[in-house]
Amino acid sequence: MFETETRLQKCFASVFPGLTLEEIRGTGADSVGIWDSLSTVTLVAVVQEEFGIEIEPSVLAQLNSFDAFRDYLCQLSQPGELR
Amino acid sequence: MKLIEALEFLKRPVPESAPEWNSFLACGMTPLHLQTFLAARLQVRLPQYRVVIKTGLFGDLIGNLGRLQMSGLNSLVLAVEWVDLDSRLGIRNLGGWKPTTFRDIAASVIRVAATLEEKLGEISERIPTVISMPTLPLPPIFTTGRAQTSTFEVELRHTVSSLTASLSQKSGLRVLNAQCLEELSPSTERYDVKSDVLTGFPYTLSHASVMGELLASLVVPPNPKKGLITDLDDTLWAGILGEDGIEGISWHLDCQTHMHGVYQQFLAALAGAGILLGVASKNDPVAVGEAFKRSDLLISENDVFPIEAQWSRKSESIQRILKTWNVAADSVVFVDDSPMEVAEVKAAFPEMECVVFPTGQYRAIWDLLWRLREMFAKSLVSKEDSIRLGSIRDAVAWRAAVPAGASTPDDFLKAAEATITFDRPLPDGAPRAFELVNKTNQFNLNGMRFGESEWKNYFADPKAFLLTIEYKDKYGPLGKIAVIMGKAGVHKLHVECWVMSCRAFSRRIEHQCLKQLFELFEVDEIAFDYRSTPRNTPFREFLTEVLEEPPVPGVSLSKKSFDKKRLPLFHRVEGTVNV
Repeated sequence: MFETETRLQKCFASVFPGLTLEEIRGTGADSVGIWDSLSTVTLVAVVQEEFGIEIEPSVLAQLNSFDAFRDYLCQLSQPGELR
Repeated sequence: MKLIEALEFLKRPVPESAPEWNSFLACGMTPLHLQTFLAARLQVRLPQYRVVIKTGLFGDLIGNLGRLQMSGLNSLVLAVEWVDLDSRLGIRNLGGWKPTTFRDIAASVIRVAATLEEKLGEISERIPTVISMPTLPLPPIFTTGRAQTSTFEVELRHTVSSLTASLSQKSGLRVLNAQCLEELSPSTERYDVKSDVLTGFPYTLSHASVMGELLASLVVPPNPKKGLITDLDDTLWAGILGEDGIEGISWHLDCQTHMHGVYQQFLAALAGAGILLGVASKNDPVAVGEAFKRSDLLISENDVFPIEAQWSRKSESIQRILKTWNVAADSVVFVDDSPMEVAEVKAAFPEMECVVFPTGQYRAIWDLLWRLREMFAKSLVSKEDSIRLGSIRDAVAWRAAVPAGASTPDDFLKAAEATITFDRPLPDGAPRAFELVNKTNQFNLNGMRFGESEWKNYFADPKAFLLTIEYKDKYGPLGKIAVIMGKAGVHKLHVECWVMSCRAFSRRIEHQCLKQLFELFEVDEIAFDYRSTPRNTPFREFLTEVLEEPPVPGVSLSKKSFDKKRLPLFHRVEGTVNV
């Protein structure tokens, strides 16, 4: 859980440079002005690559915050599902 | 490089004062991660710049080229895919794949290819341009099965091949090598269908990463190495000359030593492209001389100089070869089958690329040849490349003929029957001048280097001039060995770049250059944009000699002062210089 969160923070930091860790944790599509369609696509690509997963388009709309990403990854974190 | 690494690399601060390197990425797809990877890879190669990548409109490659603002642009990168040649060759546009459309698609691809060729011909004359031809698979559009080639598919590929052949001949344009791309990004792992449909970006991340790396390497190619020093026993040939004898060494299929023949053939090709080849071998020099006379050797004795065959340490031999070539260790590759010898040389020359020849390992030798090809890669082979080794031999003969301990005597220079030719070529037609300016270290006014776009921009100033200097004497031709660039004023000339090959030292060519600069430009004074560099001691010594004091940045020399101190010159001067 802790490791997943740390790796996810790294992903967010790469896409939203300049945000502090605290700001990243509070990040959501509503709270970050630079969270646009481009950064969403980039973030999804970075997370997919980092965790070795493929995020289904149907869940993209719900992945609108750091917490949402973390929860989604935790759901997947059955043995063998996350790299 | 992973996407997260590329993004993190791009976050690193660049000095505020760093100038921008502006590149335009022209493609029909959403540039997305290709833009990120390309920017990161360019930034790695251009740490002194702030890389900025501009992009155009989605789905309009040709239009993006038409709207291109070339002013201030350092490079243009094109990533062409089939869908850019006809949108029906992609899956985002549902324009129909009926057999009745094939003829129209093929005709459309021919038209777009012709437009691309025309536009890129114009653009690449002004902006350094790199291009990748379609890297993604064609869609399952044809009626034939997967194993059978469709006539229309062949037509499409023929059109692209013809375009590639034509573009690869343009001097300002580099085409991405499909074979290299296949090795690094297998064609089955390039296309991301989901991403193409959902975002308009059709590359997998791994393919985008490789594309970014290769395209950046074409925009900013590494400086090629200048020379290769090879061992002999179990390297250039199989066997130990001292034990097996001249007839016992081999490089043939029937002896299962064929890969040594392949290595010889490869070295001969390097020599043909102007790469310096030397030998450092612990061997009997007489036996080595005899071995090099074997008629079946694939590399000529004339292609190799010097041959250091003796029994002392390899590093000592290499030191002498470097001195003869007058090149720095970091420009040279050393190849030897003995890891111990390689380690000894590496310890003596840490900056030298030292490689173990993997005797007996077929695949490893093949990989080594590719690695060497990469280190010595050059786009053009010039006239100077073909005479380089010969002129180094001549220089050795020259030094041997000059009395030891004396400065070059007037009588000797007079007897050399030297001719110097001054020329003022168009910058676009002077690849040798561009090469000299970018690789000369020792006789170099200030170490200034030029990118291709900076080179073109420099000569956009009407006051700018470019002089090339060619030299020959009775010992042989040296080819174009010096370049002078600067800005011409009414009474004063500003020399901003001056380089001369180290092969041309001790002939008073630099003094003749000064004399000609005063006369050709009819000026009373020459100002030098001099800067000290770690390696330009020879230039500093020359300026110190003519100024009679160590030079400082911006130092000037008057004609009166130069004429008073000028050394006797014996060259015959020719040229087609109109100032």
